[in-house]
Amino acid sequence: MIILHLIMLLVSSILGLFFAYMAITEKDLLKAIGFSAGQSVAYSLIFYILMAPDVLLAYIAVSVGVYTALLVFTVSKTTRYEED
Amino acid sequence: MISLRILVFLIMFSSIIFSSIILTILDIFPPQKDVRPLGKYYLNYSYFEHGNITRTAKSPEAVTAIVWDYRGLDTLFETTVFFLAVMGGLTLFRVEKADLSKTRIKYIGMTMIVKQATKILAVLIIAVSASIALHGHLTPGGGFQGGTALAIAPLLVLAAYSKYILEEHGLTYLKAILIRSISLSMIWIVVLMPALNGYNLMQNQPFYPGEIFNQLISGSLFFYNLLEYLAIGMGFTAVFLYLSIPEKIYLEELRSIESEKG
Repeated sequence: MIILHLIMLLVSSILGLFFAYMAITEKDLLKAIGFSAGQSVAYSLIFYILMAPDVLLAYIAVSVGVYTALLVFTVSKTTRYEED
Repeated sequence: MISLRILVFLIMFSSIIFSSIILTILDIFPPQKDVRPLGKYYLNYSYFEHGNITRTAKSPEAVTAIVWDYRGLDTLFETTVFFLAVMGGLTLFRVEKADLSKTRIKYIGMTMIVKQATKILAVLIIAVSASIALHGHLTPGGGFQGGTALAIAPLLVLAAYSKYILEEHGLTYLKAILIRSISLSMIWIVVLMPALNGYNLMQNQPFYPGEIFNQLISGSLFFYNLLEYLAIGMGFTAVFLYLSIPEKIYLEELRSIESEKG
């Protein structure tokens, strides 16, 4: 059983790395916020596998809901595309 | 043509796979399989009365017992920091001069599918957040977790309809801030009550009853969770309501301040 958990941990952490990398390199800020939310979902899977449901419940609501919404509000008050 | 960002990612990906295989073969960080002594201590003292242990936190959820009982002052000051952060945000975005009711913009919202889905989801989110917060002393979760989940429901309504729908149905800034302030002052009352009655500050047992009508409420933990739930949920809702004020109104506010200065 523990090897299955380790494989799930590896997959979700690589998924989180992928989303984080895409969010950093993305020029369209709204898409970057979407990638950041995807990274949060992957990390909440990691919290679940590591048996930390208390952290998970706080993390998923803040990082996917509140944080994303705050960033969308911020982007709506500035410009959507990042300039070089 | 493979782009540079995909290439960099593939290099990172393969290096992680490679290093994880090496770590597995060398067996450097074996997974923890036993409960640590500190964990055993909290498991012993959080709920079960046995042997010479007669006074516990009365909560089967050890995390909530630690957060609001053993390390209660930490959480209390955390709540205070959050209170100050929300206060700072509201101060930055406040509107005093411009008339909010006059500048109502005709906004039809998203499509009907999104609106209907939001109607169902908002009710479900409120129910789930209430169960997270009110069962915080029995199952994983608690006041903060439930409160942040509660704040998602008005946020969805805000995105699918508009902020005017929320205000027409009675959820205004003033009400949100009022509920939040009342809950925070109630938390301080729950904190101070044991101290005024000859116990320690923030003491849980035996001052607060462990059970009411044969329902386990774990003393003060239930009250803390309930009040924190309302405070956090309404604090976030107030911030979202302020952030969704259109930029036009802020420009009007700036203009009226400048005209007053002359």
